Amino acid sequence: MADPMHQFEIHKIVDLPDFAVPGIGVIDMAFTNSTLAMTLAAAGVAGFFALATGRGEVVPGRLQMVGEAALGYIDNLTTSIIGPEGKKFFPFVFTLFIFILAMNVLGLFLVFTATSQLAVTATLAAMTMLLVLIIGFVRNGANMYKLFVPAGVPWYMLILVTPIEFISFLLRPVTLALRLFGNMLGGHVALKVFAGFVISLGTLAAGGGLGLLGIPGAMLSLGGVVALTALEFLVAFLQAFVFAVLACVYLNDVVNLGHHH
Amino acid sequence: MPQFRFEYWGGQIVWLLIVFAILYVLFARVFVPRFRAITDIRAQTIADALAEARRVQAESDAKAQAVKSDIEKARADSRKLVADARAKASDDMARTQAGQDAELAAKVHEAEVRIGGMRDAAMSNVRGIASETAADIVSKLTGKPVSAAEAKAAESIA
Repeated sequence: MADPMHQFEIHKIVDLPDFAVPGIGVIDMAFTNSTLAMTLAAAGVAGFFALATGRGEVVPGRLQMVGEAALGYIDNLTTSIIGPEGKKFFPFVFTLFIFILAMNVLGLFLVFTATSQLAVTATLAAMTMLLVLIIGFVRNGANMYKLFVPAGVPWYMLILVTPIEFISFLLRPVTLALRLFGNMLGGHVALKVFAGFVISLGTLAAGGGLGLLGIPGAMLSLGGVVALTALEFLVAFLQAFVFAVLACVYLNDVVNLGHHH
Repeated sequence: MPQFRFEYWGGQIVWLLIVFAILYVLFARVFVPRFRAITDIRAQTIADALAEARRVQAESDAKAQAVKSDIEKARADSRKLVADARAKASDDMARTQAGQDAELAAKVHEAEVRIGGMRDAAMSNVRGIASETAADIVSKLTGKPVSAAEAKAAESIA
């Protein structure tokens, strides 16, 4: 049976010169299959929205309708979670959402899924949390401590609540990165394993005799692959959506710190 | 797991940041402003169309009201015209009748007067005839002519 982890191997397509960053080390800037997948996803997204928003008709055509539906969906999401100030963060949240969605969906068509690389999901999560921290300190300054001290909680409870809030804040980027990574990894491994069963049970059946019992198993596995593929499309959308929602929620925490809207 | 071959992390992170930055700039500077512009224009178009529709509706309502009041006025006018004509006709009729009544009454009165005169004349004639006849009868009976004065005196006795 083929190794289910083989699909996550990174190999260089075009080797570009490395460059050294002081204090961090040498970074291999080679154009890999991972880079290719994210570039294709971004190019697809950019191409689609260039066409979808290009005409700008008052009565939209089909393509414009789809583009505007996607933009409007996330626009409503940011506004409903962050409030009127969500408009400022909408480009960031939408880029996150559509880029992750494009990488997830592309992974179902190509052999490589960029979002099944922890390096990619961790970077996206770190970027989001970094933005949350920058926005938080710029807007609230020293008042940022209120993030860990919920209003209206008696002092003796704060002894318990504050460390929990602090730890949960520190875990946010970790969960953000691992949720997307785990879903993509697990889905693709499961797909590969079931697909592998079809092949190995099929070869068993080809041997004849008792091996013919493998045919029902292979058929069941094939059904499983079809069902899992459908599920993976749902997961691809859902994980991108969850990432966008959580980015909004975390931004909301620091944008509307101390007062709920 | 191939994901933990850290020699590929640096490249992936840098490439991801570059690709994400390009995509973000495209959205922030091009696609989202286009989206906002078109949704604003659309909202404006819809608001304008609604305002125009409301204005036209109000206008047509006002026109309908005007037409309605015109019809009311015309109806009232015609009603008044009919009432006037009727009043005038009945007035005329009453006046004519009164005139005719007066004329007839005058004629009747005149006739009555004439009849009265005729009767009086006849009555006085009867007296004259009677006294003459009486004088004639007396003269025939007595063979003596009777003077008019005597006849008159006799008449008053009778």
